[in-house]
Amino acid sequence: MITFFDGVEVGLALCMVTAALFCLFDRHLLRACCFFVGFALCMALAWLILEAPWLAGVEGLIGALLTAPCLFYALGSFSHAAKLPPYDHIREPLSRGVIRTLLALAWCLMVGATVRFIFPEMVYSPTEHPLLLAGIVMIATAMGAFAWHRHLVRRLLAFNVMGSGVFLLLAGLAGTNAQGQALITVGLVVAWLGSLLGALVIRRLYQLEGQIALSGESALKEKGK
Amino acid sequence: MTWRFGLVESTFTPLLTSHWALAAALCLPLLFGVLAAILPPRRMWPVALACPPILVAGLYLLTDTLHAGLLRWQWEFFGVSVALRLNGLSILLLLLTQWMGAAAALYTPGLLRISEPERFARWLWPLMGVVTSALSLAWLATDLLTLYIALEMMGLAAVAMLLLSGKAAALQAGMRYLLLTLVGSLAYLLGVALIVGYWGRLDLAGLAQVMEPGPVAWMAAALMGAGLALKAALFPLHGWLSPVHASAWTPVSALHAGLVVKASLFVLLQLWSLLLPDAFWAPRLIAWMGMLAIIWGGLIAWRAESLKTLVASSTVAQLGYLMVVFPLLIGPDTSPLARALAWEGFWLQLMGHALAKAAMFMSAGNLILATGETTLKGLAGTSRRLPLSLLVFGVASVTLMGLPPSAGFTAKWLLLHAMVVSQQWLAVAALLVGTLLTAAYIFRFFRYSFMETAPRQRYQPLAPGMDMIALCLALAAFVLGLLAHFPLELLQGGSA
Repeated sequence: MITFFDGVEVGLALCMVTAALFCLFDRHLLRACCFFVGFALCMALAWLILEAPWLAGVEGLIGALLTAPCLFYALGSFSHAAKLPPYDHIREPLSRGVIRTLLALAWCLMVGATVRFIFPEMVYSPTEHPLLLAGIVMIATAMGAFAWHRHLVRRLLAFNVMGSGVFLLLAGLAGTNAQGQALITVGLVVAWLGSLLGALVIRRLYQLEGQIALSGESALKEKGK
Repeated sequence: MTWRFGLVESTFTPLLTSHWALAAALCLPLLFGVLAAILPPRRMWPVALACPPILVAGLYLLTDTLHAGLLRWQWEFFGVSVALRLNGLSILLLLLTQWMGAAAALYTPGLLRISEPERFARWLWPLMGVVTSALSLAWLATDLLTLYIALEMMGLAAVAMLLLSGKAAALQAGMRYLLLTLVGSLAYLLGVALIVGYWGRLDLAGLAQVMEPGPVAWMAAALMGAGLALKAALFPLHGWLSPVHASAWTPVSALHAGLVVKASLFVLLQLWSLLLPDAFWAPRLIAWMGMLAIIWGGLIAWRAESLKTLVASSTVAQLGYLMVVFPLLIGPDTSPLARALAWEGFWLQLMGHALAKAAMFMSAGNLILATGETTLKGLAGTSRRLPLSLLVFGVASVTLMGLPPSAGFTAKWLLLHAMVVSQQWLAVAALLVGTLLTAAYIFRFFRYSFMETAPRQRYQPLAPGMDMIALCLALAAFVLGLLAHFPLELLQGGSA
């Protein structure tokens, strides 16, 4: 029974990381957002496995039913006019990407070292906490994606994935007791409100200026089709 | 440091009336904000009717704190305990929030009446209510969960308020601020995760007893410090601040630069004094950044083309003064005298700057609204037609420069005293250079405004009271300097 349960947990962690990677690195924006819905459902399952049905419900409600429509709204899927271009064509200079990836890696190592300090037994059985590991991997990749991407919808996606990683890490470190659940619930609501606000701004910026990335960093802009 | 922040047991339980006063202080701003969204006030008098209950609740809590010294509330919701405390420091900051919130709310109807009708003007009221409530909660909260809730409510509402003007520039700046503040909150949450995972509790008073320095405390302090420094616009992470203010509405800027930024700094100091009580390098790093902030912010303000950029960059420099004090507040080898002086000077500087900066943003907003010009050159010759707005700007800048008898002077006097006692000559030099730079950029603006050769322009008359509210805020910074013994007594009140 225990091995079966572990197998489920490992499988779920793998599913989640795969969905997160697709969601972060797919240049087709609509597909990336669909992967985000799948990712949110995986998160809800993870909360069920971690014996937090309340969090599973909140995650399902907020992640899949409330945040995902915000992202689709930002893409313009609900309106016939003024859809965002379906692909993100912004290319980054390689040097910038390498520096940011290195920063994200260094950051990941730092967090990993601290987690190892809190959980000394993890060295002997690194697969004991697959969801915790998935959380760390998700935070690191999302951090890199957030730093690397310029398209605002993709940055919003990266923020959401990063948030989920932080919640998993929190649940893995602190357990899903009342305190942890309260923190994660607040975090989920904040992430949803942030995504809502972000989606409204992205939509409006696109309608006003045709912008899909923050200018000022450099003059790279992509006008509408 | 824990007793300074009131993280100890209290001897008195709060009275029933204090419960009601607390509820009023925390909930009424929200309630009135929602009411004002449903029925937007067009004149000043409905706002003036709404403010007194909140202010009276604050004053009642003040008398209670004066009697008891420290008040604590504790509740339990579904197994999660929430604790609030009210000591001299938090009641001072609470009162400051309430009065500045009231001033900003009173200023708003006049502004909305004489500027062009805005699409989202109605939303300003509930957001202002949320920000005021969240700030009040942030000063009182003593556990990491409540602090998180307060910081996030405040941050999201502040972003939304800054976005309201709806121009493309405001949206760009607001989007950058939104993304950064969200990532900052995740860094904070990760720090909380480490703390809860290792020590298993969220209340600061309990953590202060079990906390030991070690990799977990350092890492948590680094994560929370990075997140909060991003939200507080501390020096290398200040890039988002000036663009955000460039196109925001005046009362929003006043509240944001005056209070919202300070709340993150308050939480940062409170958490670091718990997590890093004996750290040597971390507070010094902040102090060096603060010195750079004083010089960099001052230079940017000096070279600024537009008045709003000048005022916003001066915030970066003024936050630098607060950062420079960190090694005196946190750290192993500070004498008790220097620490007490630095503690008093820090909070007096923070409060004086909040009042002066709000007044300055309001007078700058008045000048820009009346002339329709945003650049310093365009504002040339305003001294003839708008003497009152310019006077307010001058009175506020006296506090920023730290000339007597303002709160800025008293605060800098205390800080200099503390720095000389502990022989931090570099910090003394930074403070003096900062004062010179402040004078330089303030007088650069005055040189333009007193130009007699400037062409006459058409001026839009301001609504009654807009200048008077700004003047009252600027004068409040003076009064705070002249009657400094009262707030200073409150700040040290927890020492018994």
